[in-house]
Amino acid sequence: MSNDLANKAALPMARSRGRALLCYVIAFLFAVYCIFPFYIVITTALKNDREIFAWPPVWLFHATLANFYDALFVFGGQGAGTFILNSIITTGASTVLSLVLGSMAAYGLARFRFRGRRQLAFWILSTRFAPPIAFVVPMYLMVLQLNLLDTHIALILIYTSMNLSLVIWLLRGFFAEIPIEIEEAALVDGYTRIQIFWRIAVPLVQPGIITAGVLVSIFSWNEFLFASVLTQTNAQTLPVYLSGFSNAMGMAWGQYMAVGVIALLPISAVAFILQRYLVRGLTFGAVR
Amino acid sequence: MPTIEFKAVSKVYADGTHAVRDLSLFVQNREFLCILGPSGCGKSSTLRMLAGLESITSGELLVDGIRVNEVPARQRDMAMVFENYALYPHLDVFANIAMPLSAKGIAKSEIRRRVEEIAEVLKLQGQMRQQPRTLSGGQRQRVALGRALIREPRIFLMDEPLGHLEAYMRVELRSEIRRLHEERSATTVYITHDQEEAGAVADRIVVMEQGRVQQSGRLTDLIDSPTNRFVASFISEWPINMLPATVTTNGGRTALCVGEARPALTDCQAAVLSGVAGESLELGLRPEDVELVPPGGPGDLPGRVIVVEPQGGMAVIVIETSVGRLNAIAETERTPNVGALIGVSFPPGRVHVFKPDGSNLFARDPAASKG
Repeated sequence: MSNDLANKAALPMARSRGRALLCYVIAFLFAVYCIFPFYIVITTALKNDREIFAWPPVWLFHATLANFYDALFVFGGQGAGTFILNSIITTGASTVLSLVLGSMAAYGLARFRFRGRRQLAFWILSTRFAPPIAFVVPMYLMVLQLNLLDTHIALILIYTSMNLSLVIWLLRGFFAEIPIEIEEAALVDGYTRIQIFWRIAVPLVQPGIITAGVLVSIFSWNEFLFASVLTQTNAQTLPVYLSGFSNAMGMAWGQYMAVGVIALLPISAVAFILQRYLVRGLTFGAVR
Repeated sequence: MPTIEFKAVSKVYADGTHAVRDLSLFVQNREFLCILGPSGCGKSSTLRMLAGLESITSGELLVDGIRVNEVPARQRDMAMVFENYALYPHLDVFANIAMPLSAKGIAKSEIRRRVEEIAEVLKLQGQMRQQPRTLSGGQRQRVALGRALIREPRIFLMDEPLGHLEAYMRVELRSEIRRLHEERSATTVYITHDQEEAGAVADRIVVMEQGRVQQSGRLTDLIDSPTNRFVASFISEWPINMLPATVTTNGGRTALCVGEARPALTDCQAAVLSGVAGESLELGLRPEDVELVPPGGPGDLPGRVIVVEPQGGMAVIVIETSVGRLNAIAETERTPNVGALIGVSFPPGRVHVFKPDGSNLFARDPAASKG
């Protein structure tokens, strides 16, 4: 009897084990598919020119940082340093600005009932309906009029405006999930609305703010279209710099990939460090 | 000294819900007032208007005789305890209790001293560095009480503070709340839907239903002399028996007819009833007031026992009569057998007679107890 039971139990267990194995294989293949480009970028950046073009590919080689040195300090006369700095400035400033403005707007939409609240929220979302390229020319003319061509401010303002809708819609749900009594308790305890926002609401939606911050900074860091149209030398960001690589002097693959690695690093580091908040943030709204 | 007065206060929400209608209520200094009622009766809206969390649609709210309708919540100097505790989840117990003091910008050392004092009163010393989510329900509500107490407010507001707690915890904490009220000589407004809890803590109970005050008084007043049908059935340990009744007058003699029964009346009661002869009335008699007598007594209602449910030392006895079923409570050893024929007697002081509009004809001076 008990033997019978054991057999019956063993069968589905074996089946589920087989299924799990299949899952792992698929996941592994998918991971290889995703990671392979990164592998190529990183190894190419570490090879010398001969190894880069060798066929069959050289799997084992003496890693060199020469490409990084060239990319950072020599290439194109000044290296990539300025552009890295430009990217950091525009990404950092636009991320902070969109989080500050966006969280306030999201709180207002979540907590106050006013006429046209839904329409306002929809309008905010609708700012992302058209493809960005539709705005390039008018945006260019506006920036030109404001005398902001090739400045950090131009990019910061544009990225902020493009990111706000995402921040607002993401955080609105987070703020709405805070039990209203917590804020009412604070009102009775003697706090003003703005104090409640900073001291209670913002700390409670911290996972959401981190999630929004990561998404927004990835967008700003990688944005190419507006940066290429609106900047030339002063405020040019890494993606634009990267795209200009091929024209300058043939294709310097090693240095090109070195800049690619440099472009990858900061944002990957941020995402990696914050990933545990990220996961919590993306599920917070759903489960409660 | 804090007194609270509602003057014809109404609350209508944006969706048209008329939560509170024409509420007039005076709360004395150092009084412990309970607002009791079923959910949706307007008791929470009343408390929230008092706290300043909800605007007042019409009427006036006075604290110490001064109109506070427009005073924001943070300036009312009231402390509130919420049903779901409403602790700040990202702060530890110490910081939660300290919050009202940090709002006032009080010095750190002073805050520490007072928080520790409160923690001792509420036996929370061991939990000061814990996050709210690691606490039990009882501990959480103690923290919420601590947060309310630390401000030494003039007025305590409690919105079903024990609603989410286990029964034994409720009994323990409610006596604690009463003790703290005495010690602080505060004025307390306490909301509950539990009459036992209300009776245990309150000096006075206000019963609300459909946004209106139905009756106010001590629990015994509400039980002995309910002003209307709603209070009679809501404030009742066991559901009150309601039997159809009429009044006949025959040669100057007024009689109350409940089926075959003619309950004895006092002169005063007879005088009141003579005015409603012929109307279809309802007689209310609480199960604990039902007197079971041998069948055949004059004026009694004959019936047959159909169910006996023992409950500890008492038993609920269901009796079938010509005017419907009624329940009686009797000590277990004096319980009749199922199927036995018995008489139901109506003790004159315990009978309530309700008019079709619900008002109790036998209530003692309903005007005096109208809040």
